[in-house]
Amino acid sequence: MPQGPVRLIFLAALLVSGCSVMPPAEEAQTPVTADTELAGSPALSLLERADQARDQGRMAAAGRYLERALTMAPNSSWLYRELALLRLEEGDPAGAEGLARRALRLAPDNDAYRADLWELVAAARAEQGDPDGADAARKRAESLRRDRA
Amino acid sequence: MAKKAKTSKKRKTSAKQRQRRWWSWRFIGKLALVGLVLSAAGLVYLDAYVRDRFDSHVWQLPARVYARPVELYPGRVLSRNDMLKLLELMRYRRAAGAPTPGSYTTDGNTLVIHTRGFRDSDGGEPSERLRVSLSGGRVSGLSGGDGDSVARLEPLQIGSIHPGHTEDRVFVPLDRVPPLLVQMLIATEDRDFYDHHGISPRGLARAMVANVKAGGLVQGGSTLTQQLVKNFWLTQDRTLARKLVEMPMAVLLELHYSKEQILEAYLNEVYLGQDGNRAIHGMGLGAQFYFGRPLEELEPHQLATLVALLKGPSYYDPRRNPERAKSRRDTVLRVARDEGALDDQAFQRYKERDLEVVPRGVSPLYAFPAFIDLVRRQLARDYPPEVLGEDGMRIHSTLDVLAQLASESALRDHLNRIDGSGDRLNGSVVVVAPSQGDVLALVSSRKPRDHGYNRALDAVRPIGSLVKPAVMLTALEQPKRYSLATPVPDEPISVSLPNGTTWTPQNFSGESHGPIPMLDALVHSRNQATVQLGMDLGPGKVVKTLDQLGVKRKVPAYPSILLGSINMTPFEVAMWYQPLATGGFATPLRSITDVLDKNGEPLARYPVETREVLDSGPAFLIQWAMQQVINDGTGRGARKVLPADLRVAGKTGTSDEYRDAWFAGFSGNHLAVVWVGRDNNQSARVTGATGALPVWSQLMASLPQTSLPEAPPPGVEMVWMDPAGDKTSGEGCAGARLYPMLEASIPEKSDGCGTVHKAGKGVVDWFKGLFN
Repeated sequence: MPQGPVRLIFLAALLVSGCSVMPPAEEAQTPVTADTELAGSPALSLLERADQARDQGRMAAAGRYLERALTMAPNSSWLYRELALLRLEEGDPAGAEGLARRALRLAPDNDAYRADLWELVAAARAEQGDPDGADAARKRAESLRRDRA
Repeated sequence: MAKKAKTSKKRKTSAKQRQRRWWSWRFIGKLALVGLVLSAAGLVYLDAYVRDRFDSHVWQLPARVYARPVELYPGRVLSRNDMLKLLELMRYRRAAGAPTPGSYTTDGNTLVIHTRGFRDSDGGEPSERLRVSLSGGRVSGLSGGDGDSVARLEPLQIGSIHPGHTEDRVFVPLDRVPPLLVQMLIATEDRDFYDHHGISPRGLARAMVANVKAGGLVQGGSTLTQQLVKNFWLTQDRTLARKLVEMPMAVLLELHYSKEQILEAYLNEVYLGQDGNRAIHGMGLGAQFYFGRPLEELEPHQLATLVALLKGPSYYDPRRNPERAKSRRDTVLRVARDEGALDDQAFQRYKERDLEVVPRGVSPLYAFPAFIDLVRRQLARDYPPEVLGEDGMRIHSTLDVLAQLASESALRDHLNRIDGSGDRLNGSVVVVAPSQGDVLALVSSRKPRDHGYNRALDAVRPIGSLVKPAVMLTALEQPKRYSLATPVPDEPISVSLPNGTTWTPQNFSGESHGPIPMLDALVHSRNQATVQLGMDLGPGKVVKTLDQLGVKRKVPAYPSILLGSINMTPFEVAMWYQPLATGGFATPLRSITDVLDKNGEPLARYPVETREVLDSGPAFLIQWAMQQVINDGTGRGARKVLPADLRVAGKTGTSDEYRDAWFAGFSGNHLAVVWVGRDNNQSARVTGATGALPVWSQLMASLPQTSLPEAPPPGVEMVWMDPAGDKTSGEGCAGARLYPMLEASIPEKSDGCGTVHKAGKGVVDWFKGLFN
């Protein structure tokens, strides 16, 4: 929806500022996955083991694997996201929110991925009894999705 | 008559005699009966006592603390030297083919390491043979048993926690005790162990013969069972009463329990020495205490030394009385050969070996008292003392041995340089992995093995200019009013204090520099400009910022706090610098990651927690400004030591009259706080730059580092600003400087020089933001 107006404003802004920089082309964004985030890192194998452990209900093991992976790849948004999911599952929504925010800070420029993280923040806030905060986060997610639509 | 009288006399006498005999028989009988009843009752009581105590015996197993296990994976920064240093610390022995756990072999740059295996919350690692290639200061190749790309060495034990009581042991089940140890033990201490029922008349007789021959007490003749009773239930004093109950108790013990149970209890109970107020019990701990290795890995001559100690742990102490210990050890070896436990060839070989005990001081068990102190304090919050003393918990800590050793030598080297006498200055270092809040190293003294005053945790000292980033940050959170380019007057200033006095802070150099960009107030640590800025903001606002960054201590909103008259420990400084290092995420510092029970099952985790306390924009700006401290300012000494392309940030601090020298700074993966000063609070006559920064630089240079992020986050732009700080400018224009600017701070006006900065993008982003 706002595609049209945004373009107009882009153009207006360009005219006003006389800037020579073109706005970034809105090309298809490559989806963010564990593989794109951790390609070639040994952290990937620890992430796989963390997934298995979680499937088996071994939460302590999953947490340990993920934190080990994080020392190998400390700037991986994906690993913070996984930790946030784990914490949510373990019933620690406050912890989950902090980790999800960290994942957002480190997130690659991908709207769908960021929208997912905002949804995660929303879920964590809802579980902490913060419906307004959850709402705000959900709106951030929606607007990111709309942008891509 | 006379005869009669005689006979009567005789009768009388015999009657008397009879009477007397009858009386004494009765007495003896009664006595025997009473004795029988009493001893029966006593036996019943003893029996109940023995069974109850044996069945419910709780081994006092203090919690053990382990360092972070060494992770090996291709690409990990690790030099061959450091790898070998680690193996030596962990007492791996070099042996061709790395045949057993705890051994390794080298082949050029490739090491074959036979790991010991361990349990962890994630299951841990089995013992396996790893091929590790090291080149260019990194792990270049790794292959292991399961073909995985990640492997771990077992964590180094760095201490144990035994609050309240003083018994320490490592429990070893009988099936993990080397059979040779059992054979040696039985051969020397109790040859009839498998045949007797608790007491051994033959053994006693043998001992008596030996004693008579020797003309003194050389053999005790008590069985292992009796010795166990002694160790287990009875006090060490040699009273007759004790001797009296010892035998029946030994018999009762044998009646109820198998030889194996008794043997296992003996091996884990026996007293083997003293380490200060810590009593060394059991073969498992004995192996560690004397040889630095698990019992399973000891060689025959070492096992013999442990058996030799049973005769008198202090008399045969291999450290204090090596000759005596060796001669007794050789006796044990000879008896083992005579009894067929060792063949003659082995006997000849092992009796030639030295005692090979590890010197007490170098054991990693005592090496890091300051860090163990931190672990103890963190544990005490969650576990009562009896749990820590008895349950044999395994505490996995965050200590990075290499970082710890590097910190220790950085502090020691520099203090030796500036205080050769060694008695004036002391210091402390805290090293943290900022992203997870892991405390990697803690040094509390230039003599780090010394127990005692923990300067890192307990030395509460004024932080001086370390506070300045908090003042700047307070300003940067008002982007419409302040940017790093905003001019601040560095001029004499008088502040009226509530007590009626006036405060006139001076610059370190004694000079004032007129209006300077806010950035320079930080980079060159200008006091007058900082106070000016802080008074404009209001000290209360700065206190709020400190609070936001995680300062727990109550800081009064006095003007003097603007120059750091706030007392903190080095550890507290690390706590609030941590969010500065991570771009605004506060993570509680932890020294523990996992707690396992004695069988290696996970009990508790201390997971990473993180909370956003700064927006990405101001967080980036303050980090960038602190980088300039090291590139151009009071911290530039570090540049001589660190790689030119490594982006690091930090701040110096010096308190009044040079009492405290500080440096706190960070890279992408390490935050380190260094304090140098004197315990008596006299002038240390060094500044942050001369006393603490060199320690920080050497330490950071010896650890694998990653750079701080270079790219500004959304909402921040690099902008050329004119010297007055109120107009944008362009590259190459007179006095123009490049600053990262929050969009709200970028002035609309330009000085019209050079290429106009990329304001257009900012406007576009602003519009875009309306729709996002």
